[in-house]
Amino acid sequence: MNWKRALLTDSGGFQMSPLLHLADITEEGVTFQSPVDGKPMLLTPEESIHIQNNIGADIIMALDDVVKTTITGPRIEEAMYRTLRWIDRCIAAHKKPDVQNLFGIVQGGLDPVLRDICVKGLVERNLPGYAIGGLAGGEDKDSFWRVVAQCTAGLPENKPRYVMGVGYPLDIVVCSALGADMYDCVYPTRTARFGTALVPEGVLKLKQNAMATDERPIDPTCSCMVCKKYTRAYLHCLVTKDAMGSQLLSYHNLSFMMRLSRDLHMSILEGRFPEFVRGFLRVQFPKGDVPQWVRNAMEVAGIDISECCASTKCLTPSIDEQPPLPIPVEANGGVPN
Amino acid sequence: MPVGTQGTIKGLTTDQLEDIGCQIILGNTYHLELRPGSQLIDDLGGLHKFMNWKRALLTDSGGFQMVSLLHLADITEEGVTFQSPVDGKPMLLTPEESIHIQNNIGADIIMALDDVVKTTITGPRIEEAMYRTLRWIDRCIAAHKKPDVQNLFGIVQGGLDPVLRDICVKGLVERNLPGYAIGGLAGGEDKDSFWRVVAQCTAGLPENKPRYVMGVGYPLDIVVCSALGADMYDCVYPTRTARFGTALVPEGVLKLKQNAMATDERPIDPTCSCMVCKKYTRAYLHCLVTKDAMGSQLLSYHNLSFMMRLSRDLHMSILEGRFPEFVRGFLRVQFPKGDVPQWVRNAMEVAGIDISECCASTKCLTPSIDEQPPLPIPVEANGGVPN
Repeated sequence: MNWKRALLTDSGGFQMSPLLHLADITEEGVTFQSPVDGKPMLLTPEESIHIQNNIGADIIMALDDVVKTTITGPRIEEAMYRTLRWIDRCIAAHKKPDVQNLFGIVQGGLDPVLRDICVKGLVERNLPGYAIGGLAGGEDKDSFWRVVAQCTAGLPENKPRYVMGVGYPLDIVVCSALGADMYDCVYPTRTARFGTALVPEGVLKLKQNAMATDERPIDPTCSCMVCKKYTRAYLHCLVTKDAMGSQLLSYHNLSFMMRLSRDLHMSILEGRFPEFVRGFLRVQFPKGDVPQWVRNAMEVAGIDISECCASTKCLTPSIDEQPPLPIPVEANGGVPN
Repeated sequence: MPVGTQGTIKGLTTDQLEDIGCQIILGNTYHLELRPGSQLIDDLGGLHKFMNWKRALLTDSGGFQMVSLLHLADITEEGVTFQSPVDGKPMLLTPEESIHIQNNIGADIIMALDDVVKTTITGPRIEEAMYRTLRWIDRCIAAHKKPDVQNLFGIVQGGLDPVLRDICVKGLVERNLPGYAIGGLAGGEDKDSFWRVVAQCTAGLPENKPRYVMGVGYPLDIVVCSALGADMYDCVYPTRTARFGTALVPEGVLKLKQNAMATDERPIDPTCSCMVCKKYTRAYLHCLVTKDAMGSQLLSYHNLSFMMRLSRDLHMSILEGRFPEFVRGFLRVQFPKGDVPQWVRNAMEVAGIDISECCASTKCLTPSIDEQPPLPIPVEANGGVPN
């Protein structure tokens, strides 16, 4: 693909569960129905690592037994222990440890006891990096941040921490405050394909009628190619009818995320991260209606955001974490269609 | 001229169009009026500003799309009546309305509304359409509010009938327009008839004004028409064929979906210096073209770069006095076996260009032979774009 910078590949396990019929998880691996000819196939930890060795990414992910956080019961414990057994099989199968970094993935649902066992187990294996998995799947935000906080507290300070499947800008800022470093999410490009642009205030829906005559760029503070060259009116015209609309919005949204990451990182290096957080929240929540889960997380993170918050009254976790203008994002983290 | 139907070339940003050396693009009046509407475009400062394209724009009259796209399109002396695609109500596009819309859009070159009939039709309709086109050009001229900034081109009609074409050419030349188009071709007529109409028109049109053959086309057609004296062309072919996974190369076409492409590490065209050929292999593109919109985009980028390079090289050869050499070189690569189609040989003879060294024998090839080389996939001889 002629990409000279870094690549990370996932294990293949996650796609199989939601995308394929008859995906079944046993001690051996993930059995699924081949989408090509319908025959039963098996993805083992060994096979996943073998495939990832072939692809050659700089960071590769262990095959884990991942369950949704909305599930309860013994399955979560089983999955956590299996993940630990599978990491050893992944390590044994890994043929290129000198050029490819194998990350382990912390599982354990929303149970702090299970999460603790998994963190300790993975840290014992002394891996190049660690991911916090099994989140971003529909759990409530208050449970979400607490799991992230617990994991980052237990993982080594000098190794990357990767929260898989996150996410919205607000989630990234909160998780970073809690000590995480890496994130992945389809949200910026997927929401672009629905005509939605990311802006400091939240989101801008280009399909709205008001956009048809709006001569401003998507974001006057953004210096990306799209914001330098095109107006909302032009993009409005495209997003409903031409693939170029999605492309240009994807370009802007990814530029937005790169800028967010860069600004956040720079604020850490320059010792003014709490200021960055306050600035971010002020723009996202101009009325001061910062959701309670964010307030709770920032308290644990040791970041004072009282000046961003309108009152000390608790907001229920079901309040949308994005500002009410113009379209709310569902509180459970679901991406609106 | 790449065709940017909706104010955008499918798959390329305006920066990329500039990068590949594109000087002018075409916008379809019908589509632009439908969405976002020419009044809005005018309110926002014109199409150049709206799509942020600083170079040249040409809009067509809107008539052709109506006839080809809409049901119940009916042509009367007043204009083209059609069923609005928005609410089904009957609507009318008159010469005055077409020019008004194009004045709003603000393109550098605008096209007269003409009464266009397919060349595959015969009978009195062709004569009626030719004379109506002449009457409508006067209405277009009268309605044109910005003759100082927008160049109104007339369009020569008359089917395949040389008498009618001659009347139309003379009629338009009398009006002393900034430029002239040769319309009504590229619609399924046989190639031998096609080039003869082009040759007749270019012979009758003024030497010092642009001649624009509408709807052309394939690289070979462009080279032949240029040899016959034409200057401007538009066609959706380069971008449309890209969306089917087909790349344009000097030898003809390259179908990226073929299995053999899956392991081919060469660029599309080793002689091409475009971004796609510098960065990506056939194997990578093969992987994309079947599954990802990016495949179509990258092929569109290459195909338009190819067309820009062809135009540039052709133009340069004229300026440097070696155009016949250019033609010979082009034909040699396209027809390595020397099987240059007869219609091309005939046209080059009339154009006064000696291509005998490119032709394997003097035996006539029947007009039904594909005009593209048989490798790897033939293009239909009637000019139809393969799907």
